Amino acid sequence: MAKQQDWNSLSDAEFRQIFRTWVDDNCPMHLRNMRKQRPVFDEVAEWYHALAEKGWLSPVWPQEYGGMGLNAAKHIIYVEEWARLGCPRIPDHGIGLVGPLLIEFGTEAQKAHYLPRILSGEDVWCQGYSEPGAGSDLASLRTAAVRDGDSFIVNGQKIWTTLAHCANWILLLTRTSRDEKVKQKGITVLLVDLTSPGVTVRPIENLRQEADFCEVFFENVRIPAENLVGEVDKGWNLAKAVLGHERIFLGAPSRPEVALSRLEQLAEARGAFADPAFVDRYARLRLDLYDLGSAFERFARQLRDNGTLGADVSVLKIFCSELYQKITEETLDIAGEEARFLDDLPAGNGHVDAMNLYLDSRALAIFGGSNEIQRTILAKAVLGLPS
Amino acid sequence: MPEIILEDPDGTFAMLRDSVAAFAQRFDGARALRARRGAGKDIDRDIWSAMAEAGWLGLMLPEDLGGAGLGLSEQAILSEALGRALITEPLAQLSVFSGALLAGAEPGEERSRLAEGLISGSLVVSPVWQTTDGGYAAVSATENETGVTLSGTAGLVVAAVSADVLLVLARSGDDRMLVSVAAGSEGITVMERPTVDGATLAELRFDGCHVAADQILARNLLGSGLLDEAIQAARLTLAAELAGAGSKALEATVDYTKERVQFGKPIASFQAIQHRLVDMWSAAEFSCAAIVNALERLADEPGKPAALAVLAAKARAGDAAIDITRKAIHLHGAMGFTDECDIGLYMKRAVNLNATLGNPAQLRLQFVALERAA
Repeated sequence: MAKQQDWNSLSDAEFRQIFRTWVDDNCPMHLRNMRKQRPVFDEVAEWYHALAEKGWLSPVWPQEYGGMGLNAAKHIIYVEEWARLGCPRIPDHGIGLVGPLLIEFGTEAQKAHYLPRILSGEDVWCQGYSEPGAGSDLASLRTAAVRDGDSFIVNGQKIWTTLAHCANWILLLTRTSRDEKVKQKGITVLLVDLTSPGVTVRPIENLRQEADFCEVFFENVRIPAENLVGEVDKGWNLAKAVLGHERIFLGAPSRPEVALSRLEQLAEARGAFADPAFVDRYARLRLDLYDLGSAFERFARQLRDNGTLGADVSVLKIFCSELYQKITEETLDIAGEEARFLDDLPAGNGHVDAMNLYLDSRALAIFGGSNEIQRTILAKAVLGLPS
Repeated sequence: MPEIILEDPDGTFAMLRDSVAAFAQRFDGARALRARRGAGKDIDRDIWSAMAEAGWLGLMLPEDLGGAGLGLSEQAILSEALGRALITEPLAQLSVFSGALLAGAEPGEERSRLAEGLISGSLVVSPVWQTTDGGYAAVSATENETGVTLSGTAGLVVAAVSADVLLVLARSGDDRMLVSVAAGSEGITVMERPTVDGATLAELRFDGCHVAADQILARNLLGSGLLDEAIQAARLTLAAELAGAGSKALEATVDYTKERVQFGKPIASFQAIQHRLVDMWSAAEFSCAAIVNALERLADEPGKPAALAVLAAKARAGDAAIDITRKAIHLHGAMGFTDECDIGLYMKRAVNLNATLGNPAQLRLQFVALERAA
């Protein structure tokens, strides 16, 4: 891996040009615009390794740890160009979650051991947060870790663990003690090898009949105490602290953008633009997307100017996920009798994956904190409404 | 609460906001609206003069015409603040729209006289250019040796009774000319109708109204793009006023629901109400973002990108203000349905501004037609 230059000293336009050119030349064409939102590691390994070799796998880690060290403004460009070129998402929990957590709270030994293994693709991480009884109410999690000499013994179950079936490590939130008044206390972060005895991973098929999330069971799994991150019982704030500016990307316009272009393609092919009633509905969706772009820029500017974002940014995620659904619903509406087909619909010279997008669009309003949870957070954090 | 966020290196925007806040101390918007409504007046001439003294009427007129020579950004900040304060004198039409037409008219004595009067508040200069259904005024100009004769009808005229001068858009050949007509001239009939927010709009009939040749201010308003430019400026002004009104209605509703106790708790603690308030806040945020985008496109990409952005901003701000103020009335409960409660005035104001120069459905169709045009 070559020593990197100071990307942040380039103008936005220069950086965009350099990044875009290389990505366009090096991201394999057969991986562009994949139907799958979350391909497994092996499906995108060549792209992962190409990025790693270039040193561009990890946009925001400081360069001393092998990242690009991008500031927020440059990171937004990185994500925008990635989406624009139709590059596939890679298993990125190591890059986006575990890396930043260890860089901020890990020991020197943990950083030295784990970070290079993420960059090499040797370790693929997943995020062990949600449980059957702890989804929106995450702090009520119960997977127990009990100290036993130099180890913790873990028992319990995680669920909705994205890509656990292609990961070999999991970042685990565990319960080490219970405070009857404040359930956020007593949570501990552990790094857990998924190949340890007592771990069982069971993939779950989603609505699109793909396995992109899993159940993970822990039965008397012995974890070395050195795999503790931060302090025992104080893991909640660690987990919260790494939810940084990346939240803005949950509201990035790229998904509804793709969906609208498919709607347009189908509408052109079926002559729907000659129907004033359709044009009326289309205009609303088109303007919603246009205005989402303006709103995204409002928050991107905040991030560039201040380096941080407030709780208010989740308004983008709510708007974006609901718009994505409205667009895919309209696409099925104009498909008429054909709306029931699972495979792609012929449209002009190509095809439109109407059902694929319709099913996919159910997810974004649920994950990352459902839209109802987001509204409740906004009510308190932004409008100061009482409990 | 959401507001238009622009870089303000020399503090001009903060100063404009402060000056509106001070103005609102002297002239309470809601009280003035009710007084004007009670008197059946089209505008309040005292408030209009005070707005002139504040330097607001000639904000965007060029300095060589006696104006402040500022831009649409300053106008947007001013109008947003006026919308918040419910100061409802028709600035978008009488200052921004008339001002833009005068700024683009041919230099001459009449133009200078009108600009000066507009800026000082001594002349109310009302544009007469539409029909009641929003098309171009059905007034024709017949040229003769001494000037032109106007015949036909127009509608949606603000301050038609208070006006000193009418800026009439009249058909001349394939295009339109702009003529300055003294209000009350022979051959003009005015029929006023009340608007929901306590003002009036009028229909005008011209029966062979004769105007001297030196009253012709400009020709080819369509071909030259002058009319479109004025419409764009007025639309963005209206969008900013809508954003201000919406944001203030949201704020009032948040305050009210925090105070109003039922079942032993403030109603703002109930999730059903919290989620509505968040949706109102979201709409207000998106309006402000859309207006900032339009201001930036106008500065960086004039032409089609800017035209699209202005259409989007007026549509978004209109939709948002309507949605916010309707919900605001509902969340005020029975109080919201009384005339005594100011929240209803915000809804009525939003309805007026939203319908002015294209409602959201019309603007969205224009956006799509323009974007998809090869």
